[in-house]
Amino acid sequence: MTESQIRQIKFLSYVNWLVTEKFNGDQGIRDLNALKTVVSLPGNGTLSCVLGERLSNRKDLYAQLGWFVYYAIEGEPFNSKNRTTVLLVLLWVLKYYRLEFDADEIAGFIKSLDPLKHGNSDISLWFSSHCS
Amino acid sequence: MKRKIIRVGSSKGVLLPREVTKAMNWDFGAEIELTIDEEKRDVLLKTLKVSVPDEYEIDHLRQIEETMNDYADLLGGTDD
Repeated sequence: MTESQIRQIKFLSYVNWLVTEKFNGDQGIRDLNALKTVVSLPGNGTLSCVLGERLSNRKDLYAQLGWFVYYAIEGEPFNSKNRTTVLLVLLWVLKYYRLEFDADEIAGFIKSLDPLKHGNSDISLWFSSHCS
Repeated sequence: MKRKIIRVGSSKGVLLPREVTKAMNWDFGAEIELTIDEEKRDVLLKTLKVSVPDEYEIDHLRQIEETMNDYADLLGGTDD
């Protein structure tokens, strides 16, 4: 794993810790390999948007978000509050990149997302058409 | 403020008055740092400070916490 990926894992674990403290969930990592998958994008890519790296185009951002949402929900890396962790990271990233979005709509999407029916490409597409 | 050394099992302990724990915001399980100055024969109790590693921007972590508080109602029902 790269240094950047290790930082991303620590960051996501921090976010999960925050939400489990706030909303009374079980703390801790359930599956470290699932968490590694979340930050390991194809082609030696990393989930750099969660640490605030400025990406050169939105297509890369949507691709990262699609990957992140899919593997964080499908793999359930934490003991609890996986979807809450995903939603909080998303809200911060979208605000950071100054995209227009409807928080209720995103929350509804995350709550109802079925990873057996939607892949990371579908999720990227959803973000590209709902956050501009 | 005077306190007596008391027996706690086979160890020795000192009970902290409520006014101290309240002022220091020390609850059960809170970790504190104990420093001994052998020359002065003093013992100092301090809140354990946890520092954020250098590679993390504290502003970034604060923004996440602020976002969580801003959207608490929305986030609270996500995993129900």
